[in-house]
Amino acid sequence: MQVTFNIVRQRSTAPARVESYTIEAEAGQTILDCLNHIKWELDGSLAFRKNCRNTICGSCAMRINGRSALACKENVGSELARAQANAGDGTAVIAIAPLGNLPVVKDLIVEMQPFWDNLDAVEPYISTQGRQVPEREFLQTPAERAQLEQMGNCIMCGACYSECNAREVNPQFAGPHALAKAWRTVADARDQQTDTRLAQYNDTNAVWGCTRCYLCNEVCPMGVAPMEQISQIKRQLLARHDDQTSRPIRHRKRMVELVKSGGWVDERQFGVQVVGNYFRDLRGLLSIMPLGLRLLARGKFPLRFEPSEGTATVRSLITAVQQANQAENLPG
Amino acid sequence: MKKLNSLRSRATMPTSTLRYAYFPGCVAQGACRELYQSTALLAATLGIELIELKRAACCGSGTFKEDSQLLEDTVNARNIALAEELNLPLLTHCSTCQGVIGHVDERLKAAQRDDPAYLERVNGFLNNEGCSPYRGSTEVRHLLWALVGDYGLEALAAKVQRSLAGLNCAAFYGCYLLRAQDSIPYDDPWQPESLENVFRTVGATPVYYRGRTQCCGWPISSYSTEASFQLAGKQYQDALNNGADCLVTPCPLCHLQLDSRQPEIGSLLEKSFNLPVLHLSQLVALALGCEPKALGLDRHVVSTQPVLAKLGLT
Repeated sequence: MQVTFNIVRQRSTAPARVESYTIEAEAGQTILDCLNHIKWELDGSLAFRKNCRNTICGSCAMRINGRSALACKENVGSELARAQANAGDGTAVIAIAPLGNLPVVKDLIVEMQPFWDNLDAVEPYISTQGRQVPEREFLQTPAERAQLEQMGNCIMCGACYSECNAREVNPQFAGPHALAKAWRTVADARDQQTDTRLAQYNDTNAVWGCTRCYLCNEVCPMGVAPMEQISQIKRQLLARHDDQTSRPIRHRKRMVELVKSGGWVDERQFGVQVVGNYFRDLRGLLSIMPLGLRLLARGKFPLRFEPSEGTATVRSLITAVQQANQAENLPG
Repeated sequence: MKKLNSLRSRATMPTSTLRYAYFPGCVAQGACRELYQSTALLAATLGIELIELKRAACCGSGTFKEDSQLLEDTVNARNIALAEELNLPLLTHCSTCQGVIGHVDERLKAAQRDDPAYLERVNGFLNNEGCSPYRGSTEVRHLLWALVGDYGLEALAAKVQRSLAGLNCAAFYGCYLLRAQDSIPYDDPWQPESLENVFRTVGATPVYYRGRTQCCGWPISSYSTEASFQLAGKQYQDALNNGADCLVTPCPLCHLQLDSRQPEIGSLLEKSFNLPVLHLSQLVALALGCEPKALGLDRHVVSTQPVLAKLGLT
């Protein structure tokens, strides 16, 4: 069948343009096969990264029909089905663009240095003592190893980084790839820097900068689920710190307490307790005053709060779960 | 309405009254009471019966899980079990509540098959507090999906009293509606169409823009305020560049960010966006002939007057 590829092409900072190539392709062909065909038969100037052709090396990540994916993993048939279901007609067009959140070098090739810098910053290596080679070998139980499996599967393709909403507005944000590796090192029984690491990751440019948009989980071709690994680090931090440590931690802790006291969250209390820290953080309190006044002026401010009729049960239920978690020495 | 053909939507009027166990959520009972009122009016106008879960509790909005998965699962197993007591599907009208409770339902249904010991543990907690056990016998549905899938767009079209022709509506789906669950009905999470199909059904024109599936910034607004506001600002600009008259969202948390904080976001970015943000319930109820004031359209931070003026309702 005839398939048209609309490819975003760009040379460094020059404005991007879309070029269309129509080729004969079969449903089972990968997008990478088609790009190779275009480059080898139609236009040798088209630039893209590729290597293993087999979902191993992570080189060919790009935006395919609007989301970041590996060109060697996706195929013509499924992409056309997706495009046609949405366009509602018989169109056979596949849109290709470079990864987001990284500067374009040429066409589909992006500069990956910021991605590697972010990774390096979380020190994704087993701690120095762990790196000293023992006389025989590093011993891990199968259970300990199994904990690292999911993060170990990361092939550093950059798909998560490309879609990350937090990274889009905060260049200092560590990125989902780096934070997934951060959890991998914390979870590694051989690493001895857990405290230092957790202190480093306890930051709004690290785990607390994540907006929980789920895009990293959605695009990861290897099932690493970076957002879940970010949650694991948060869980460790919540277990170690009280609600005076920082606003993100207070946010989580007060949420649970507010649900225990009213079933539903009383938003007025949320503002006073989380942002205002019970009047201890006057600056915080002042920062939300305009919001409160605005809501008041528009008749939106919740003047009353009705607790859930199940509040007593919910309180008791949450307490029981908290006690069980503590008894098992788990966070929570 | 070319999109209607490709959508798995109910084609005829529902034969019996649709009934749901209604989970109102925190925000609709707090700073977005206009949503609570609009959903009630919308349901009444369509003849949908809502039985409110008065004993339900906050889903945790995704933060309970950060504390412990067991906490999120147990609190929401109880919420779902309250709907199961009524033998009704649980209805949400918040993307976040939907994503959280819907995913807990998926997890626990999977546990019934693969890890019964875990479900037994969750039900043990419920049993100790005198709550009904989670049985995995119902579904968790957002109002948007109930409109598209249970009521049906053709049936909805038949109820339209006031066409919203000429109004350019930019959907703002909310992350949890699209991506928190393993699978969602009717939509491709990357190129969703259910809101756009509702817009067409009520006579409005959908505006397509990248931001419609992106994050509003709300979850980090209390501590990474600037990044959070930058994110919201990007989505406004994107929608405006594509000709939007208003945003329409099925998520009151997105609404809190995009409406209530719009003046601050505008000051930070030195722009005056003046982009009204409507709840899904408000938009549909407006087309069904409900009065703007009864829908709380006069109680938004960003004035909805330009929308009403465009519809000749001022």
